[in-house]
Amino acid sequence: MIKIVLIIISLFTITAIAQTDWVKWGKAEISYEKKDLIRHKDYSYHDISISGLAVKTLANAYWFFVSDLDGDNCPFSPTCSSFLLQSVKETNIVQGTLMFFDRFTRDYNFIERYNRYPRVEDGHYYDPISLYTLNVKKINYIPPSTVVKQ
Amino acid sequence: MKFPIYLCVLELFASILLAQEKQIDFNSEKNIKKFADYLFCDKDYLRAAEEYQKLNGYEGNDTIIFKTGLSYLFIGDYSTSIDNFSNISSLSPFYENSKLERMKAQFLMNDYFGMRSFYNNNFPEDDSLSDRANRLFTFSYLITEDRLPQKEKFLLPFNSIEKEKISSFYDWKNDPPYKSSALAGILSAIVPGSGKIYTGDISDGIFSFLVTGVFTFLAYDNFRAGHDTRAWIFTGLAAFFYGGNVYGSIAAAQIYNAKITFEFNKGLNVFLESNNYFVPVYEFCN
Repeated sequence: MIKIVLIIISLFTITAIAQTDWVKWGKAEISYEKKDLIRHKDYSYHDISISGLAVKTLANAYWFFVSDLDGDNCPFSPTCSSFLLQSVKETNIVQGTLMFFDRFTRDYNFIERYNRYPRVEDGHYYDPISLYTLNVKKINYIPPSTVVKQ
Repeated sequence: MKFPIYLCVLELFASILLAQEKQIDFNSEKNIKKFADYLFCDKDYLRAAEEYQKLNGYEGNDTIIFKTGLSYLFIGDYSTSIDNFSNISSLSPFYENSKLERMKAQFLMNDYFGMRSFYNNNFPEDDSLSDRANRLFTFSYLITEDRLPQKEKFLLPFNSIEKEKISSFYDWKNDPPYKSSALAGILSAIVPGSGKIYTGDISDGIFSFLVTGVFTFLAYDNFRAGHDTRAWIFTGLAAFFYGGNVYGSIAAAQIYNAKITFEFNKGLNVFLESNNYFVPVYEFCN
Protein backbone atom coordinates (compact mmCIF):
# COMPACT_ATOMS: atom_id res chain seq x y z
CA MET A 1 0.00 0.00 0.00
CA ILE A 2 2.82 2.32 0.84
CA LYS A 3 4.12 1.86 -2.71
CA ILE A 4 0.88 3.17 -4.19
CA VAL A 5 1.02 6.15 -1.88
CA LEU A 6 4.61 6.86 -2.90
CA ILE A 7 3.75 6.59 -6.60
CA ILE A 8 0.82 8.97 -6.19
CA ILE A 9 2.98 11.42 -4.25
CA SER A 10 5.75 11.29 -6.85
CA LEU A 11 3.25 11.83 -9.68
CA PHE A 12 1.75 14.83 -7.96
CA THR A 13 5.17 16.19 -7.16
CA ILE A 14 6.19 15.97 -10.81
CA THR A 15 3.05 17.88 -11.83
CA ALA A 16 3.67 20.49 -9.19
CA ILE A 17 7.25 21.24 -10.14
CA ALA A 18 6.81 20.93 -13.90
CA GLN A 19 7.95 23.97 -15.84
CA THR A 20 5.61 25.62 -18.27
CA ASP A 21 8.22 27.27 -20.46
CA TRP A 22 8.81 24.14 -22.47
CA VAL A 23 7.82 25.93 -25.65
CA LYS A 24 10.69 28.40 -25.26
CA TRP A 25 13.24 25.81 -24.25
CA GLY A 26 12.29 23.13 -26.76
CA LYS A 27 14.76 20.39 -27.45
CA ALA A 28 17.45 21.01 -30.01
CA GLU A 29 17.74 18.94 -33.15
CA ILE A 30 20.83 16.81 -32.68
CA SER A 31 22.38 14.64 -35.32
CA TYR A 32 24.14 11.52 -34.12
CA GLU A 33 25.62 10.78 -37.53
CA LYS A 34 29.36 10.38 -37.53
CA LYS A 35 31.14 13.28 -39.20
CA ASP A 36 32.55 12.55 -42.64
CA LEU A 37 36.23 13.46 -42.24
CA ILE A 38 37.40 11.94 -45.53
CA ARG A 39 38.78 14.56 -47.89
CA HIS A 40 36.85 14.20 -51.13
CA LYS A 41 38.42 15.32 -54.37
CA ASP A 42 36.61 17.42 -56.91
CA TYR A 43 37.58 16.28 -60.41
CA SER A 44 35.18 18.65 -62.18
CA TYR A 45 36.40 21.50 -64.37
CA HIS A 46 33.71 23.81 -63.13
CA ASP A 47 34.68 27.48 -62.72
CA ILE A 48 38.25 27.08 -64.03
CA SER A 49 40.19 29.88 -65.73
CA ILE A 50 42.30 29.28 -68.86
CA SER A 51 45.55 29.47 -66.86
CA GLY A 52 44.10 27.11 -64.28
CA LEU A 53 43.13 24.52 -66.90
CA ALA A 54 46.61 23.00 -67.20
CA VAL A 55 47.11 23.01 -63.45
CA LYS A 56 43.72 21.38 -62.89
CA THR A 57 44.54 18.68 -65.45
CA LEU A 58 47.86 18.07 -63.73
CA ALA A 59 46.19 17.85 -60.30
CA ASN A 60 43.45 15.54 -61.62
CA ALA A 61 46.07 13.25 -63.15
CA TYR A 62 48.02 13.22 -59.87
CA TRP A 63 44.88 12.41 -57.89
CA PHE A 64 43.79 9.66 -60.30
CA PHE A 65 47.14 7.94 -60.82
CA VAL A 66 48.87 8.57 -57.49
CA SER A 67 46.89 10.07 -54.64
CA ASP A 68 43.76 7.91 -54.83
CA LEU A 69 45.91 4.78 -54.86
CA ASP A 70 48.48 5.94 -52.35
CA GLY A 71 46.00 7.29 -49.80
CA ASP A 72 45.45 10.52 -47.90
CA ASN A 73 49.04 11.22 -46.87
CA CYS A 74 49.43 15.00 -47.02
CA PRO A 75 49.72 16.32 -43.47
CA PHE A 76 48.22 19.68 -44.39
CA SER A 77 44.77 21.03 -45.02
CA PRO A 78 44.23 21.95 -47.81
CA THR A 79 46.44 19.25 -49.34
CA CYS A 80 49.40 20.41 -51.44
CA SER A 81 47.57 19.70 -54.72
CA SER A 82 44.46 21.56 -53.51
CA PHE A 83 46.76 24.34 -52.31
CA LEU A 84 48.18 24.67 -55.81
CA LEU A 85 44.71 24.81 -57.37
CA GLN A 86 43.44 27.34 -54.85
CA SER A 87 46.52 29.54 -55.05
CA VAL A 88 46.41 29.67 -58.88
CA LYS A 89 42.71 30.51 -58.67
CA GLU A 90 43.27 33.18 -56.00
CA THR A 91 46.32 34.81 -57.59
CA ASN A 92 47.82 33.88 -60.96
CA ILE A 93 49.79 31.01 -62.50
CA VAL A 94 53.25 32.41 -61.60
CA GLN A 95 52.48 33.45 -58.02
CA GLY A 96 50.40 30.32 -57.47
CA THR A 97 53.30 28.13 -58.63
CA LEU A 98 55.74 29.91 -56.29
CA MET A 99 53.28 29.48 -53.42
CA PHE A 100 53.05 25.80 -54.23
CA PHE A 101 56.82 25.26 -54.25
CA ASP A 102 57.13 27.07 -50.94
CA ARG A 103 54.37 24.86 -49.51
CA PHE A 104 56.04 21.77 -50.98
CA THR A 105 59.29 22.70 -49.20
CA ARG A 106 57.44 23.17 -45.92
CA ASP A 107 55.77 19.81 -46.53
CA TYR A 108 59.20 18.16 -46.28
CA ASN A 109 59.80 19.72 -42.90
CA PHE A 110 58.54 17.24 -40.33
CA ILE A 111 60.06 19.02 -37.30
CA GLU A 112 57.62 20.23 -34.63
CA ARG A 113 54.73 20.85 -36.99
CA TYR A 114 52.40 20.80 -33.98
CA ASN A 115 54.23 23.85 -32.65
CA ARG A 116 53.83 25.83 -35.84
CA TYR A 117 50.41 25.09 -37.31
CA PRO A 118 46.88 24.93 -35.90
CA ARG A 119 44.91 21.80 -36.66
CA VAL A 120 41.60 21.11 -38.31
CA GLU A 121 39.08 18.70 -36.80
CA ASP A 122 40.37 15.72 -38.78
CA GLY A 123 43.88 16.21 -37.34
CA HIS A 124 45.58 17.75 -40.37
CA TYR A 125 47.65 20.91 -40.01
CA TYR A 126 45.78 24.01 -41.11
CA ASP A 127 47.76 25.99 -43.65
CA PRO A 128 45.41 28.12 -45.79
CA ILE A 129 46.50 30.04 -48.89
CA SER A 130 45.28 33.33 -47.37
CA LEU A 131 48.52 33.45 -45.35
CA TYR A 132 50.74 33.36 -48.42
CA THR A 133 49.16 35.70 -50.99
CA LEU A 134 51.43 38.54 -49.73
CA ASN A 135 48.26 40.53 -49.00
CA VAL A 136 48.69 41.55 -45.34
CA LYS A 137 44.98 42.25 -44.95
CA LYS A 138 44.15 38.64 -45.74
CA ILE A 139 46.46 37.21 -43.07
CA ASN A 140 44.43 35.90 -40.18
CA TYR A 141 46.93 34.50 -37.72
CA ILE A 142 45.69 31.47 -35.77
CA PRO A 143 47.88 30.20 -32.92
CA PRO A 144 49.13 26.59 -33.19
CA SER A 145 47.18 25.36 -30.16
CA THR A 146 43.86 26.08 -31.90
CA VAL A 147 41.54 23.56 -33.54
CA VAL A 148 40.01 25.14 -36.63
CA LYS A 149 36.48 24.24 -37.67
CA GLN A 150 36.08 24.09 -41.43
CA MET B 1 -4.67 2.14 7.94
CA LYS B 2 -6.52 3.42 4.90
CA PHE B 3 -7.44 6.68 6.54
CA PRO B 4 -3.99 8.28 6.39
CA ILE B 5 -3.70 7.33 2.73
CA TYR B 6 -7.01 8.92 1.87
CA LEU B 7 -5.98 11.95 3.86
CA CYS B 8 -2.73 12.17 2.00
CA VAL B 9 -4.36 11.91 -1.45
CA LEU B 10 -7.00 14.42 -0.42
CA GLU B 11 -4.36 16.83 0.80
CA LEU B 12 -2.49 16.61 -2.48
CA PHE B 13 -5.62 17.26 -4.52
CA ALA B 14 -6.55 20.08 -2.22
CA SER B 15 -3.14 21.74 -2.55
CA ILE B 16 -3.35 21.67 -6.36
CA LEU B 17 -6.87 23.04 -6.31
CA LEU B 18 -5.77 25.76 -3.93
CA ALA B 19 -2.78 26.56 -6.07
CA GLN B 20 -4.99 26.97 -9.11
CA GLU B 21 -7.53 28.97 -7.22
CA LYS B 22 -5.03 31.58 -6.07
CA GLN B 23 -4.48 33.61 -9.22
CA ILE B 24 -1.14 35.40 -9.44
CA ASP B 25 -0.71 38.00 -12.11
CA PHE B 26 2.75 37.15 -13.31
CA ASN B 27 2.56 39.88 -15.92
CA SER B 28 2.00 42.73 -13.53
CA GLU B 29 4.70 45.38 -13.73
CA LYS B 30 5.72 44.70 -10.17
CA ASN B 31 6.19 40.97 -10.77
CA ILE B 32 7.98 41.44 -14.09
CA LYS B 33 10.41 43.81 -12.39
CA LYS B 34 10.89 41.38 -9.52
CA PHE B 35 11.56 38.54 -11.93
CA ALA B 36 13.86 40.68 -14.09
CA ASP B 37 15.82 41.73 -11.00
CA TYR B 38 16.12 38.09 -9.99
CA LEU B 39 17.42 37.13 -13.46
CA PHE B 40 19.81 40.08 -13.45
CA CYS B 41 21.30 39.06 -10.11
CA ASP B 42 21.44 35.46 -11.31
CA LYS B 43 23.54 36.76 -14.23
CA ASP B 44 20.94 35.55 -16.74
CA TYR B 45 21.31 38.83 -18.59
CA LEU B 46 19.68 37.77 -21.84
CA ARG B 47 16.38 36.93 -20.17
CA ALA B 48 16.73 39.83 -17.71
CA ALA B 49 17.03 42.23 -20.66
CA GLU B 50 13.91 40.70 -22.24
CA GLU B 51 11.97 41.14 -19.00
CA TYR B 52 13.20 44.70 -18.51
CA GLN B 53 12.18 45.47 -22.07
CA LYS B 54 8.61 44.55 -21.15
CA LEU B 55 8.71 47.43 -18.70
CA ASN B 56 9.06 50.09 -21.34
CA GLY B 57 5.91 51.60 -19.88
CA TYR B 58 7.96 52.49 -16.82
CA GLU B 59 8.92 55.83 -18.29
CA GLY B 60 11.34 57.81 -16.24
CA ASN B 61 12.54 54.85 -14.19
CA ASP B 62 16.22 55.33 -14.81
CA THR B 63 17.20 52.30 -12.70
CA ILE B 64 15.36 50.00 -15.10
CA ILE B 65 16.79 51.74 -18.17
CA PHE B 66 20.29 51.55 -16.69
CA LYS B 67 19.97 47.87 -15.79
CA THR B 68 18.56 47.14 -19.26
CA GLY B 69 21.62 48.85 -20.73
CA LEU B 70 23.92 46.84 -18.47
CA SER B 71 22.17 43.58 -19.39
CA TYR B 72 22.64 44.26 -23.09
CA LEU B 73 26.24 45.26 -22.45
CA PHE B 74 26.97 41.96 -20.69
CA ILE B 75 25.44 39.85 -23.46
CA GLY B 76 27.38 41.75 -26.12
CA ASP B 77 24.51 43.65 -27.75
CA TYR B 78 26.44 46.90 -27.57
CA SER B 79 24.35 49.09 -29.86
CA THR B 80 21.11 48.35 -27.89
CA SER B 81 23.09 48.92 -24.73
CA ILE B 82 24.22 52.36 -25.98
CA ASP B 83 20.62 53.22 -26.93
CA ASN B 84 19.54 52.51 -23.37
CA PHE B 85 22.37 54.46 -21.75
CA SER B 86 21.63 57.41 -24.05
CA ASN B 87 18.05 57.51 -22.74
CA ILE B 88 19.14 58.29 -19.21
CA SER B 89 18.39 61.87 -18.27
CA SER B 90 21.17 64.19 -17.15
CA LEU B 91 19.22 64.69 -13.89
CA SER B 92 19.45 61.00 -13.01
CA PRO B 93 21.94 59.76 -10.40
CA PHE B 94 22.91 57.13 -13.00
CA TYR B 95 23.85 59.74 -15.58
CA GLU B 96 27.59 59.76 -14.86
CA ASN B 97 27.78 55.98 -14.76
CA SER B 98 25.71 55.65 -17.92
CA LYS B 99 28.27 57.81 -19.75
CA LEU B 100 31.09 55.56 -18.59
CA GLU B 101 29.15 52.40 -19.49
CA ARG B 102 28.40 53.87 -22.89
CA MET B 103 32.11 54.43 -23.40
CA LYS B 104 32.78 50.81 -22.41
CA ALA B 105 30.15 49.62 -24.93
CA GLN B 106 31.74 51.72 -27.69
CA PHE B 107 35.17 50.38 -26.72
CA LEU B 108 33.95 46.77 -26.82
CA MET B 109 32.31 47.25 -30.22
CA ASN B 110 35.64 48.66 -31.48
CA ASP B 111 34.16 52.11 -32.12
CA TYR B 112 37.25 53.85 -30.74
CA PHE B 113 36.84 57.06 -32.70
CA GLY B 114 33.22 57.43 -31.59
CA MET B 115 34.29 56.69 -28.02
CA ARG B 116 37.02 59.33 -28.09
CA SER B 117 34.72 61.98 -29.50
CA PHE B 118 32.10 61.08 -26.86
CA TYR B 119 34.76 61.38 -24.15
CA ASN B 120 35.95 64.76 -25.41
CA ASN B 121 32.41 66.14 -25.47
CA ASN B 122 31.02 64.62 -22.28
CA PHE B 123 33.75 64.27 -19.70
CA PRO B 124 34.96 67.54 -18.23
CA GLU B 125 38.03 67.23 -16.00
CA ASP B 126 36.01 67.71 -12.81
CA ASP B 127 33.75 64.77 -13.68
CA SER B 128 33.75 62.17 -10.89
CA LEU B 129 34.43 59.33 -13.34
CA SER B 130 36.80 61.27 -15.56
CA ASP B 131 39.82 59.22 -14.45
CA ARG B 132 38.29 55.88 -15.38
CA ALA B 133 36.98 57.27 -18.66
CA ASN B 134 40.37 58.77 -19.42
CA ARG B 135 42.06 55.38 -18.96
CA LEU B 136 39.75 53.83 -21.56
CA PHE B 137 40.26 56.84 -23.81
CA THR B 138 44.04 56.60 -23.56
CA PHE B 139 44.13 52.80 -23.77
CA SER B 140 42.29 52.91 -27.11
CA TYR B 141 45.41 54.46 -28.69
CA LEU B 142 47.21 51.16 -28.11
CA ILE B 143 44.65 49.40 -30.28
CA THR B 144 44.23 51.78 -33.20
CA GLU B 145 46.91 52.85 -35.65
CA ASP B 146 46.69 56.50 -34.62
CA ARG B 147 49.76 58.42 -33.59
CA LEU B 148 50.51 57.97 -29.92
CA PRO B 149 50.59 60.97 -27.58
CA GLN B 150 53.81 61.72 -25.67
CA LYS B 151 54.75 58.98 -23.25
CA GLU B 152 54.53 61.08 -20.06
CA LYS B 153 51.09 62.33 -21.02
CA PHE B 154 50.05 58.84 -22.09
CA LEU B 155 50.93 57.23 -18.74
CA LEU B 156 49.28 59.96 -16.66
CA PRO B 157 45.80 58.38 -16.13
CA PHE B 158 47.19 55.02 -14.96
CA ASN B 159 48.17 54.08 -11.42
CA SER B 160 51.70 53.06 -10.43
CA ILE B 161 51.00 49.29 -10.79
CA GLU B 162 49.50 49.70 -14.26
CA LYS B 163 52.16 52.14 -15.44
CA GLU B 164 54.89 49.54 -15.83
CA LYS B 165 52.83 47.33 -18.12
CA ILE B 166 51.31 50.24 -20.03
CA SER B 167 54.79 51.62 -20.54
CA SER B 168 55.93 48.35 -22.16
CA PHE B 169 52.78 48.36 -24.36
CA TYR B 170 53.59 51.92 -25.36
CA ASP B 171 57.16 51.04 -26.31
CA TRP B 172 55.98 48.06 -28.32
CA LYS B 173 53.38 50.13 -30.15
CA ASN B 174 55.88 52.89 -30.81
CA ASP B 175 58.46 50.50 -32.23
CA PRO B 176 56.98 47.05 -32.87
CA PRO B 177 59.59 44.26 -33.22
CA TYR B 178 58.51 43.42 -36.77
CA LYS B 179 60.72 41.63 -39.25
CA SER B 180 61.32 43.20 -42.65
CA SER B 181 59.79 41.14 -45.46
CA ALA B 182 62.15 42.80 -47.99
CA LEU B 183 65.19 41.81 -45.93
CA ALA B 184 63.85 38.25 -45.56
CA GLY B 185 63.46 38.03 -49.35
CA ILE B 186 66.95 39.42 -50.00
CA LEU B 187 68.55 37.06 -47.48
CA SER B 188 66.85 34.06 -49.06
CA ALA B 189 67.89 35.23 -52.51
CA ILE B 190 71.53 35.24 -51.36
CA VAL B 191 71.49 32.06 -49.26
CA PRO B 192 68.34 29.93 -49.71
CA GLY B 193 66.49 29.50 -46.42
CA SER B 194 68.32 32.26 -44.54
CA GLY B 195 65.28 34.57 -44.82
CA LYS B 196 63.17 31.97 -43.04
CA ILE B 197 65.81 31.56 -40.34
CA TYR B 198 65.71 35.35 -39.93
CA THR B 199 61.94 35.20 -39.34
CA GLY B 200 62.36 32.44 -36.74
CA ASP B 201 61.36 29.47 -38.92
CA ILE B 202 64.72 27.76 -38.47
CA SER B 203 63.73 24.26 -39.55
CA ASP B 204 61.86 25.59 -42.60
CA GLY B 205 64.98 27.56 -43.51
CA ILE B 206 67.21 24.50 -43.24
CA PHE B 207 64.83 22.42 -45.37
CA SER B 208 64.64 25.20 -47.96
CA PHE B 209 68.42 25.24 -48.15
CA LEU B 210 68.62 21.44 -48.44
CA VAL B 211 65.88 21.09 -51.09
CA THR B 212 67.21 23.92 -53.26
CA GLY B 213 70.78 22.69 -52.74
CA VAL B 214 69.99 19.08 -53.64
CA PHE B 215 68.18 19.97 -56.87
CA THR B 216 70.93 22.43 -57.85
CA PHE B 217 73.55 19.76 -57.24
CA LEU B 218 71.54 17.20 -59.28
CA ALA B 219 71.31 19.67 -62.15
CA TYR B 220 75.04 20.44 -61.99
CA ASP B 221 75.95 16.76 -61.71
CA ASN B 222 73.77 15.76 -64.67
CA PHE B 223 75.15 18.56 -66.83
CA ARG B 224 78.65 17.40 -65.94
CA ALA B 225 77.77 13.81 -66.84
CA GLY B 226 76.26 14.88 -70.14
CA HIS B 227 72.63 13.95 -69.27
CA ASP B 228 71.20 17.17 -70.64
CA THR B 229 67.49 16.31 -70.47
CA ARG B 230 67.63 15.25 -66.85
CA ALA B 231 69.89 18.20 -66.09
CA TRP B 232 67.37 20.68 -67.52
CA ILE B 233 64.51 19.05 -65.56
CA PHE B 234 66.51 19.40 -62.35
CA THR B 235 67.49 22.96 -63.28
CA GLY B 236 63.81 23.85 -63.69
CA LEU B 237 62.91 22.22 -60.38
CA ALA B 238 65.81 23.94 -58.61
CA ALA B 239 64.72 27.28 -60.06
CA PHE B 240 61.15 26.78 -58.88
CA PHE B 241 62.27 25.72 -55.39
CA TYR B 242 64.61 28.72 -55.28
CA GLY B 243 61.81 31.09 -56.33
CA GLY B 244 59.43 29.47 -53.86
CA ASN B 245 62.02 29.87 -51.11
CA VAL B 246 62.40 33.63 -51.76
CA TYR B 247 58.62 34.04 -52.02
CA GLY B 248 58.06 31.92 -48.89
CA SER B 249 60.55 34.00 -46.90
CA ILE B 250 58.66 37.19 -47.70
CA ALA B 251 55.40 35.49 -46.69
CA ALA B 252 57.06 34.11 -43.52
CA ALA B 253 58.05 37.66 -42.48
CA GLN B 254 54.45 38.82 -42.98
CA ILE B 255 53.12 35.89 -40.95
CA TYR B 256 55.70 36.58 -38.23
CA ASN B 257 54.50 40.19 -38.03
CA ALA B 258 50.87 39.05 -37.87
CA LYS B 259 51.83 36.69 -35.03
CA ILE B 260 53.58 39.52 -33.15
CA THR B 261 50.53 41.77 -33.53
CA PHE B 262 48.25 38.92 -32.43
CA GLU B 263 50.30 38.38 -29.27
CA PHE B 264 50.37 42.10 -28.54
CA ASN B 265 46.57 42.32 -28.83
CA LYS B 266 46.23 39.24 -26.67
CA GLY B 267 48.42 40.95 -24.05
CA LEU B 268 46.16 44.01 -24.17
CA ASN B 269 43.07 41.85 -23.61
CA VAL B 270 44.71 40.02 -20.71
CA PHE B 271 45.61 43.39 -19.19
CA LEU B 272 42.06 44.69 -19.56
CA GLU B 273 40.61 41.56 -17.99
CA SER B 274 43.10 41.33 -15.14
CA ASN B 275 42.61 44.99 -14.24
CA ASN B 276 38.81 44.68 -14.23
CA TYR B 277 38.28 47.58 -16.59
CA PHE B 278 34.92 46.21 -17.61
CA VAL B 279 33.70 44.76 -14.34
CA PRO B 280 30.78 46.80 -12.99
CA VAL B 281 30.97 48.24 -9.50
CA TYR B 282 27.24 48.64 -8.89
CA GLU B 283 25.58 47.02 -5.92
CA PHE B 284 22.20 46.11 -7.31
CA CYS B 285 22.20 42.58 -5.95
CA ASN B 286 23.19 43.02 -2.32
